[in-house]
Amino acid sequence: MQRAVSSYPFAPSVKVKLLNAGFHSAADLCDLRPLQLSKEAGISQEEAVEVLQAVRCEPGQERAAASQLTALELLEREQELGSIVTFCSALDTALGGGLPVGKTTEVCGAPGVGKTQLCIQLAVDAQIPVCFGGLGGKSLYIDTEGSFLVQRAVDIAQAAVEHCGLLAEDAEQQESLKEFTVETVLSNLFLVRCHDYVELLAETYLLADFLAHHPEIRLVVIDSIAFPFRHDFDDLSQRTRLLNGLAQQLIQMATNHNVAVILTNQMTTKVWNGHSKLVPALGESWGHAATQRLILHWEGTNRLASLYKSPSQTEATVRYQITAQGFRDVPHSNQPKASVDPTVSQSGSMSKRPRMEEV
Amino acid sequence: MVVLRDGMCPGLSEEMVVALRAADITTVEDLLSSDTEDLAQKCSVSYKALLAVRRVLLAQHTAFPVSGDDLYEDLMSSTAIVSTGNSSLDKLLDSGLYTGELTELAGGPGSGKTQVCFGVTVNISYQLKQSVIYIDSTGGLSASRLLQILQKICKLEEQMEALQRIQVYRVFDIFSLIDCLQSLQCTGLQRASAGGGSVKAVIVDSVSAVISPILGGKQNEGMSMMMQVAGVLKTIAKDFNVAVLVTNTVTRDCNGNLKAGLGQSWSHVPRTRIILQRFESPGSTCSSLRTATLAKSSRQPCLLKEEFDLQCWGRSEDQLYEVSGKRKLEKNSPY
Repeated sequence: MQRAVSSYPFAPSVKVKLLNAGFHSAADLCDLRPLQLSKEAGISQEEAVEVLQAVRCEPGQERAAASQLTALELLEREQELGSIVTFCSALDTALGGGLPVGKTTEVCGAPGVGKTQLCIQLAVDAQIPVCFGGLGGKSLYIDTEGSFLVQRAVDIAQAAVEHCGLLAEDAEQQESLKEFTVETVLSNLFLVRCHDYVELLAETYLLADFLAHHPEIRLVVIDSIAFPFRHDFDDLSQRTRLLNGLAQQLIQMATNHNVAVILTNQMTTKVWNGHSKLVPALGESWGHAATQRLILHWEGTNRLASLYKSPSQTEATVRYQITAQGFRDVPHSNQPKASVDPTVSQSGSMSKRPRMEEV
Repeated sequence: MVVLRDGMCPGLSEEMVVALRAADITTVEDLLSSDTEDLAQKCSVSYKALLAVRRVLLAQHTAFPVSGDDLYEDLMSSTAIVSTGNSSLDKLLDSGLYTGELTELAGGPGSGKTQVCFGVTVNISYQLKQSVIYIDSTGGLSASRLLQILQKICKLEEQMEALQRIQVYRVFDIFSLIDCLQSLQCTGLQRASAGGGSVKAVIVDSVSAVISPILGGKQNEGMSMMMQVAGVLKTIAKDFNVAVLVTNTVTRDCNGNLKAGLGQSWSHVPRTRIILQRFESPGSTCSSLRTATLAKSSRQPCLLKEEFDLQCWGRSEDQLYEVSGKRKLEKNSPY
């Protein structure tokens, strides 16, 4: 087929040499030997071999057949994947069962609203054994801000283990409880500390290998993705390009290795037309990066979570609270009418954390 | 720019190719643009043989002009208009998506582009009983949502049949996208249509997710790859008579108005462009209402606006009338 040489993933120098030698389409190349090609185009033997392999193996048949599905097959696969509960039933219902595996979710919120708490809770919940309705997998936590505290993870893990202990009824569940202890939870939680954006990008490149070696990992947490990119970045268009590339790599990993990816983002103030409102940081193009977007915000002393963008769930706002045991529901009698548009700010009350004791 | 090779046409032998190359003639273009007598003397090749070769090559590589009448006949017999399933969008698009053309949906995050793509997909696979090819590059494709929409309008066996007519490809970077489109061009489309009904639409959601990481900065390949994608999409649309629908992001221009992303060069690629926005209404709760603005069209005046509900695809005919009546009531009610 007449496919242009410039559309193949070769190094730019190789492409320039091929084009200068007069090879513009795949049809020109396919009859040549590597030696002939390297002489005519002035490229090395190995490069010539690579070029000919890429051009000849009509990737059409095999690769397309491998990655092609009908929607019916996709539906079956999605139903097998399951989701990770958050222990806040209202939020789980809004998300359609919990955090979906195989998709990227972004959690945005003002400081102190509970993003890291949610991440630690999810990292523990991903390990709940299968007979309790969980995934029984491991978690990878990439920390860029240094906000991961082991003591807090221990508290949350302890509460989760106790909760499952209370639920255990039959012999199978009692058996699996023996493997679900605070020690095993902590040993199945892999922690990576990245100090700047270069380390974060490197980590994502290595992630594909890591996930291939540890196929039991079901959750990847990046807390937070905004922090390394908001400071010391002079070239904003480069930042956008890097972020978009990062988003594509993450969704590729989520799909190929069946993991749930959760990213934490910060909030920034946008001023226009004389109003100011709180919007998620990293720019408008970043809004397209994650498949789902959850915005956590304050309303007086209540914490609310709004599902702002999702391909399969309707938008909803629910209340939650952070207790000593972790991320939890608010007791039913206290549920207010939670239908406020999260993007409309009310005279700055949502930007500041209320300075009063929580009852 | 086709390189001269022996066996390309009768009369072009290996010795002739070598002789021509010695005279610096490597491609067909070089041969056709040079003087035949001169060349025959320089390469010591027979003048008659060279003339014969030249005639055959000309015939092989010329484009044939088509009369306007034939073109019109062709268009009338092969173009189809694929309804989107939503009457407001159909109004904007002059009754639907035209096959043989590229239509673009642009919008900010959460504005409903993926939901519109789902609605179009379900409409084609269930109502029109034709196949759809859905190329997903953002991970936003959720088969359970497609099932949800189908469950409200048809029974179980029909749901499964409709889902089987939707072919899904998941590509996450520009080279996989080009590979996928090339393979579709070569063989895929015929194979896809084997499963009952021909392919009527190819949906790429989204095209900006794979192109924006390579555009700009010191990279000079970005534009070239973007135009390759555009070229393949247009060829697929034309050759196989399918409607191509792509989604894109939006940016703001200097006056603060919305325009489609990916820059000036891409803005000329789609034939029709619709910009989606959330519905601006006072005291808005999280609603599913959206406005669609026609930003570029060769058939309708631009800047036409329509409002619609994203949930309209999952409703039956009677429910649709009910809803529109209800909305009128809400407008007049005190709150």
